[in-house]
Amino acid sequence: MLKGFTRKIRRYAILSKEQIEAIHAGTLSTLQGTGVKVDHIDTLKLLKDNGCDVDFEKRVARFPPGFVEECLRKCPSSFRVKARDPKHDVVLGGDNVYFKNAVGQMTVDLDSMEPRIPSEKEYFDALVVLDALENVHMLGPYTPYFGYEGVPPVMAIPTSCASKLKVSAKAQLEGYQKGSEIFCIKMAKSVGSEIVGLMTSASPLNWGAEAIDAAFRYAEAGFPISIASGAVMGGTGPATIAGALVLTNCEVLSAIVLLQLRTGMRAKVLSTTFTFPMDMRSGLPAFGDIGESLYQLAFNQIWREYGLPVYNSASGYCSSKKIDYQSGYEKSMACLLSVLSGANLVTLIGNVSAELTYHPVQSVLDDDVAGMIGRLVEGVTVTDETLALDLIEKVGSIPGSYIGEGHTRKWWRLEQFPPKAADRLSYQEWKEKSKKSCLDYAKERVEKILATHNPIPLAPDQEREVNSILEEARRYYKEKGLI
Amino acid sequence: MVEPESLKNLERAVLEYDASGAEVWARKAIEEDIDPIRAADVLSEAVKEIGDGFGRGVLFIPDLIGGAEAMKSAMRVLEAHMKRSDAQKRSLGTVVAGTVQGDIHDIGKSLVCTLLSTAGFTVHDLGVDVPAEKFVQAVKEYRPDILAMSALLTTSVPELRKVVEALTREGLRGRTKILVGGAPVNESFAREIGADGYSPTAIGATELARKLLGAKEENRC
Repeated sequence: MLKGFTRKIRRYAILSKEQIEAIHAGTLSTLQGTGVKVDHIDTLKLLKDNGCDVDFEKRVARFPPGFVEECLRKCPSSFRVKARDPKHDVVLGGDNVYFKNAVGQMTVDLDSMEPRIPSEKEYFDALVVLDALENVHMLGPYTPYFGYEGVPPVMAIPTSCASKLKVSAKAQLEGYQKGSEIFCIKMAKSVGSEIVGLMTSASPLNWGAEAIDAAFRYAEAGFPISIASGAVMGGTGPATIAGALVLTNCEVLSAIVLLQLRTGMRAKVLSTTFTFPMDMRSGLPAFGDIGESLYQLAFNQIWREYGLPVYNSASGYCSSKKIDYQSGYEKSMACLLSVLSGANLVTLIGNVSAELTYHPVQSVLDDDVAGMIGRLVEGVTVTDETLALDLIEKVGSIPGSYIGEGHTRKWWRLEQFPPKAADRLSYQEWKEKSKKSCLDYAKERVEKILATHNPIPLAPDQEREVNSILEEARRYYKEKGLI
Repeated sequence: MVEPESLKNLERAVLEYDASGAEVWARKAIEEDIDPIRAADVLSEAVKEIGDGFGRGVLFIPDLIGGAEAMKSAMRVLEAHMKRSDAQKRSLGTVVAGTVQGDIHDIGKSLVCTLLSTAGFTVHDLGVDVPAEKFVQAVKEYRPDILAMSALLTTSVPELRKVVEALTREGLRGRTKILVGGAPVNESFAREIGADGYSPTAIGATELARKLLGAKEENRC
């Protein structure tokens, strides 16, 4: 049986039918009128040959509404992503719900909360923890850090891809920079797995050549593409939720057209958001702002109506610099709302401070949040057995009790979600056990995982092949003068 | 002295972030033979008031930019009527700015440029994805007091070092202070590549620019 959760409750919808129609109409008229910059001459020619209005000088393409809708209709509503071990395959679509890790540029010292570049051991330890966590179903790009001591920046993605394949059999996503996708595709194919490739716009209304080349390479390998707008509300996109939806939907829809043309209408697309408001004092991303969730709720509703699987990529990032109350509410609220409103894949696990830092202790805490959300959306089971009429009759009034009943032993585990790193002791016990907090329990769980968890290794020949592709990447970047 | 109506309106236009209004009232002031330096002082006061509001936490980045844009549109009118020497005297210094090659992130860099020009610096914004040679060329052409560079990608950060090295090779490093910024950049990296300053925020960059030039003036003495 595949991992992940199934949403059995009704998806939360916040837009009226009229509001959806207005946003959709605005999107199509912007695509047709304003158009989108496509910084890729071959693709502009392809668009022109297929009925789009192209201004080659400005590199702007304008898209006929009917053609956009046709390309959208031909996208599959769900697809499987092959992991190294088939039991970790994910099927993105329908009411399946999966969680993936966030990333951090660096690790963070939990005493001083100062960021620093991780050692190789810390990098792989963080991966081992991710492999062990049962509510992490996919591993993200740059996982878990942007490299470790001694890894040149340009090798960050190939190193991440190789390390994930070596340490974990879970399905993965991967990004692109300076042709890194060439090596990631080779590595995935060498172990019989797939990668969800990223394609991120440089907003507003702009697709850069690097994003297009990478997405085409991933798509031609038969891999799905996560198309994300990178608009920041109030910065590179409108500050209003409705305006941001029009702009970002234009970007995702225009990319769908590009991919469908390139693949002969066979693109597998994961519609993705990495859009959030700008903090108007610092200019930084306002991760965890409720405006981000409002945008995501609306995005999810629209794209589920379009019939595509949805990925909310910004939900698990927080503005708090510490593992504290603020980081807890920023992450939990955003991720819960993402899943309730129809997201199939949600970024949650491990991020500590915006995109700056990541820590395995945080990943353990987030794993519990993912488990709670997953339990919540699986809903309430109402059957003769759960109604328990016979049992209620048997126990009767006080002094009757349910605690020793077989029904209780069976069902409490299924109805509750006991977190693994939380304090639920009585006050006396808590006092006697060193007054531990969830953070202490999470540290202990990380230590226990590292002492006991054994990831499924690659077969020796597969490991040799992955290492040789990694070496090929190093040579490639050396020849280009990037190392 | 009683402030003429046109200057009061000019001030109000900036405080209301009204760029076209500011331009209209700047023209009116010129028509009324008001000294452009006096009008420019009114603009500076208005922008300072917005800056103070930001400092108190009641105004935000869009307000700073709105005020700066209004000031710039009025200054274009006033500068055309200032003596060249007066315009130069008003400038706190010249800045060349850009996002390094391989990186097209614009917001942070543009914000720094806007705040620097509002603070009184003359700013030449080279845009994004700027190769090292173009920075070198601009330093030769504008002879700036400060070169401000931004990099937001881990892969584009090494470009910062490349530019510093290129300036050193060309013998241009001594005359220009170098300021760097961007999410993956930090103080120790700035020191390591031989930059003169790093700021994690746009507001901090303006303060740093003032400080660096203050230091430069002291060195000149």
